[in-house]
Amino acid sequence: MSTTIEHDRQNGAADPERYQRTLARGILVFRWVWLAWMTALAVASAEDFTIPALAWASIGAAAAWTAWLTATRHRWTSAVLWFDLGLCLWLVLASALVVPEESVVEGRPFFATGYPLSAPLFWGASRGVSGGLIAGLTLGVAHIATRPINGVPLDGLTAPQFQNMTGAFLNYVVAGIAIGVISRVLVRSAEAVARASDELIKERERAARLAEREKLARHIHDSVLQALAFVHKRGRELATRDQVPPEEVRRLAELAAKQEADLRRLILRDPEEAPTGSASLRELLEDAARSVEGIPVTVSAVGPMWMPRARAEELTAAVRQALENVVQHANASRANVFADQDGDDVVVSVRDDGIGFEYDETALHRAGKAGMLKSMKGRAEELGGRMVVVSAPGSGTEIEFTVPSR
Amino acid sequence: MTDRVTVVLVDDHPVWRDGVRTDLEASGIADVIGEASDGGDGIQVALDKMPDVVLMDLQMPTVSGVEATRRIRDDAPNVKVLVLSASAEEDHVLEAVKAGASGYLLKSSTSEELIDAVRRVHAGEPVFTPSLAGLVLDEFRRVASGEAPRSEEPQLTPRENEVLKLVAKGYTYKEIGDKLFISTKTVQNHVQNILTKLQLRKRYELMRYAIQRGLDRAPE
Repeated sequence: MSTTIEHDRQNGAADPERYQRTLARGILVFRWVWLAWMTALAVASAEDFTIPALAWASIGAAAAWTAWLTATRHRWTSAVLWFDLGLCLWLVLASALVVPEESVVEGRPFFATGYPLSAPLFWGASRGVSGGLIAGLTLGVAHIATRPINGVPLDGLTAPQFQNMTGAFLNYVVAGIAIGVISRVLVRSAEAVARASDELIKERERAARLAEREKLARHIHDSVLQALAFVHKRGRELATRDQVPPEEVRRLAELAAKQEADLRRLILRDPEEAPTGSASLRELLEDAARSVEGIPVTVSAVGPMWMPRARAEELTAAVRQALENVVQHANASRANVFADQDGDDVVVSVRDDGIGFEYDETALHRAGKAGMLKSMKGRAEELGGRMVVVSAPGSGTEIEFTVPSR
Repeated sequence: MTDRVTVVLVDDHPVWRDGVRTDLEASGIADVIGEASDGGDGIQVALDKMPDVVLMDLQMPTVSGVEATRRIRDDAPNVKVLVLSASAEEDHVLEAVKAGASGYLLKSSTSEELIDAVRRVHAGEPVFTPSLAGLVLDEFRRVASGEAPRSEEPQLTPRENEVLKLVAKGYTYKEIGDKLFISTKTVQNHVQNILTKLQLRKRYELMRYAIQRGLDRAPE
């Protein structure tokens, strides 16, 4: 279950910026369509241009700008936005300069019809409603200004000409505002999705913890009561005997100890409220220590030590191997696991009071005894950390894992 | 009789008290001179009998083991308190040590460990388990990295830090001495100093609280 959670998070399914980027890519497609349209119109009406150089330079600038926007992973910085607005403003104004006098009101499409619309879209997408409004108003006003620039006085417009002009003005403004609204809605819903999935993950983890507790509770009902009844009955029986075999008593004690540990875990330490996606390294180590049979293992740690769950589990797996090694080879009477925080690293040491050995990797390798050590070392290295072994014959062994906590 | 350690047991489980009494008396090193079944009675009995060592449970009705420890240590600094708890109830254990307990032992410890601990506490030697050492380390670090470092609060010296870490790793005082080329006695002194500093911090904490609340000023 934990891996799915990790996966969900890394997916970034709910990243507001991603929605905005998708929107930006859409606007880029429009730009290319308008650029093609603008070029086609210019080619068709090239002989009418009064200042052909200016017309072609303007189209060239728009093409270069569109290409740059497509090719680079640009950010929506103010510089990019202002340059875009400036260029579109220039295209609108230039369109009035490069055609014959009084031709802008003739009703035929002129070359800056579509492309400048990309500035209000761009601004609306990146800066919301107010951004779209600023760019839309600027270009709308520029559009009105094209009339006097082209030699048509504003008070000399016929009614249809006036409606045309106002329609274009509104087009710019409404496009900016509409995209601004869409962008804001997208960002909000992305944020809502992010919050919801965070809660979902938390909820799932809480459910998992509850399930774990229930499992434990069932286990206690099943086994603790059984064990108590057995200890009770057997204890009475043994008390009536003259000779009590020590092995029998030890078995009773071990039975009680096991149940005691389970009960303690259930009752006395409430499962701690974990940060999303993380686990308490101390708890995992305590679980590992409890599962060791043969020698007592104590765990000490500086607090619960929250870590990303997958990392904590991998590290615990290495510790488990180290403990198995102690049980099988060290001839120790006890072992201790200590987890410490050292800056950004977690340091876990596994120490025993056993026979110790000469730690010489090449010699161990030759003797074919390096397998387990290599595997532990591999785990530590895969986590971006290292493993150090300190041991000498007769003075126990200490294996220390140092791995980055994130 | 005089060289035997006098002990008072404070625990709300009679079965447990009986067991500990039997163990201690069978060992020949200690005499149980009083028992109490809750913190409030525990304070009374301890101040009344003035034993060498009080064995204190933490979870008890009415007055808790932590509070009883604090009162006993305040009123009778010569009486040592050894916490004997059913589990690693970490916060409580740490609080009890701050309140003046000389150490703690899990109830699941063997009777040899218990007898040894009583002997050591009586001799003025703190009884630290590895997990308690981990908690104490955390405690010192937490405040050290807190908002404003308070220079007046006692911090651990590098050596004390090193000793504490080794205790947390499960080394005995003797092993630590051998490792650091110092005597076992010096290791004990370091551990004692760590405990004293921990208790001092508690006093600073209380003092700060009082000053913040204006409790240090005389009423007008």
